[in-house]
Amino acid sequence: MTVGLKQPPVDEGRKPQPSAGGRPPKRRRLLTMAKARPWLLLAPALILLAGLLLWPLARVFIFSLQDYGLRQIVSGKTKFIGLDNYAEVFGDSSLWTVVLPNTIGFAIVAVASTVIFGTLVALLMASLSPLWRTVVGSAVMVAWAMPAVTGTYVWIWIFDADQGLVNATLKGLGLMDESFNWFTNPVTFYGIVALNIVHHGFPFVAITVLAGLLGVPKEMLEAAEMDGAGPIRRFFQITYPTIKPVFSVVVILSTIWDFKVFAQIYLMPGGSGSNREVLNLGVWSYVESFGQNRYGFGAAIAVLLTVLLLIITAIYVRTLFKEEKV
Amino acid sequence: MRHRSLSRRLVKAALVALLLAFTLFPAYWMISSSFDAQASSGGQSLLPQEFTLANYQYVLTEGGFGTFLRNSAVVAFFTVTISGIVALLAAVAVARFRFKFRTGILIMVLTVQMVPLEALVIPLFVQVRDLQLLNSLVGLVIVYLAFSLPFAIWMLRGFVAAVPVELEEAAYIDGASWGRMFRSVLLPLVAPGLVATSVFSFIVAWNEFIFAMTLLGGAAENYTVAIGLKQFFGVHANDWGPVMAASTIITIPVMVFFVLVQGKLSNGLVAGAVKG
Repeated sequence: MTVGLKQPPVDEGRKPQPSAGGRPPKRRRLLTMAKARPWLLLAPALILLAGLLLWPLARVFIFSLQDYGLRQIVSGKTKFIGLDNYAEVFGDSSLWTVVLPNTIGFAIVAVASTVIFGTLVALLMASLSPLWRTVVGSAVMVAWAMPAVTGTYVWIWIFDADQGLVNATLKGLGLMDESFNWFTNPVTFYGIVALNIVHHGFPFVAITVLAGLLGVPKEMLEAAEMDGAGPIRRFFQITYPTIKPVFSVVVILSTIWDFKVFAQIYLMPGGSGSNREVLNLGVWSYVESFGQNRYGFGAAIAVLLTVLLLIITAIYVRTLFKEEKV
Repeated sequence: MRHRSLSRRLVKAALVALLLAFTLFPAYWMISSSFDAQASSGGQSLLPQEFTLANYQYVLTEGGFGTFLRNSAVVAFFTVTISGIVALLAAVAVARFRFKFRTGILIMVLTVQMVPLEALVIPLFVQVRDLQLLNSLVGLVIVYLAFSLPFAIWMLRGFVAAVPVELEEAAYIDGASWGRMFRSVLLPLVAPGLVATSVFSFIVAWNEFIFAMTLLGGAAENYTVAIGLKQFFGVHANDWGPVMAASTIITIPVMVFFVLVQGKLSNGLVAGAVKG
């Protein structure tokens, strides 16, 4: 292969065209064709993304400014009410006492547990022999592959009030006299959700951090060990700074996922709106829209969720870029 | 010294055992409950006592889970195929052509992945309703395309960019048209990437819950597996045997695909194609 051909990605205009043959009209046609080709290739994707993501994103905002109920859906008429929906959302005391604490508090606890546990698993895996690393890795994959819906049902079954394993074991050990309903108390309810989320979410953290750990130069760690640094010191002084970008990505993605948990809460007993003590932003928006037919009000909550996620994303992306520049 | 390393190994072994127990327990409990005749009557212990296939039999015949499986397979097939084709074309455009707004489009594809799809349930519900596609699998496929496309484009872009331009140029020199080059050179070389993105789209379509529940609402005959599970509640209260049997059936294809993809993404298909 000749060196001269080694150019950056082919520009269609410069592509060898044996058939063009120097006839000007045909050449021009080929040129416009070449210009149009990327857009022709992109067209289906752009149409789908615009119609299914961008337009709905604009529309959820438009709905949030309307009194949009079943009547408006059927008749197609619009009734704009300005910021009334937002006023109602922010004026609702349950937003401040239940929904936001549930959403933000849960996200903080879940992200911290997932990232810490996932990192510990990655550190353990990095210290194992290849055989055992494969064994543990496969087990971690099984936890990862478990669909959210079936995983949630298994956790409900384990904590089931009548016949669940946890209640049966606690009663069998004599620690409890009668069955305890784990799902009515918001704290135990979210404890089970957190267990479910950590179990489902730590594999991604562990596998990603492990990939980063294996790239940390061994010489640096050995040098530090010779200088007398213990394992904890080695982790925070060498490993962590080296793979900080990996942590940033893992934390961003976990935060985004844990902020908008839906199925894991909605499917739990009382999680679909009947127990208002356990609502989070996503479930609240859904319940108001599809349970009460108050789509405008639900849209306002959805906009609030989106804005919160965008702020988090923006903060993290900025720190990410800042770190890379330094 | 030797003493210390032994106790260290014991601690590590205990940690590995604990980790394996925590990681595998839900899957174990799901499978063991599904085969245990005692699961529905509440007499189940940690080890299964009475082996039975009755739960599976009930789920697949009376429970009507076969229909849900077929619906999910249909939805997943069309989602995978359409998003694969559309994303590959778009990926070729952004990886191989220089044109105006190229960077803008890349940034859009990246940011659009951050949009919480849960927040779009309301407008997408109204949109699908306006198209008269509520309660139909077509509406669901259209929505799932929105889920899988941005990630598929982003991932395939990397695979297309990894194919050496020299191979394409060699095809042109041999007199191939762009279409011929695409079919005979590019397509076979990005096939592993296409497989990987297809697996991702499959898992999205197979597991998705909130849109399936919202868009299929009343049409139980069109339910996908993720919402079909709900059908086993309420009929017989706390009938966990069938629920766990159905959950096992749902989980198996996902696990198989996870195993298939693991480690096969970068097997260096093009590594030997260009020599320094």
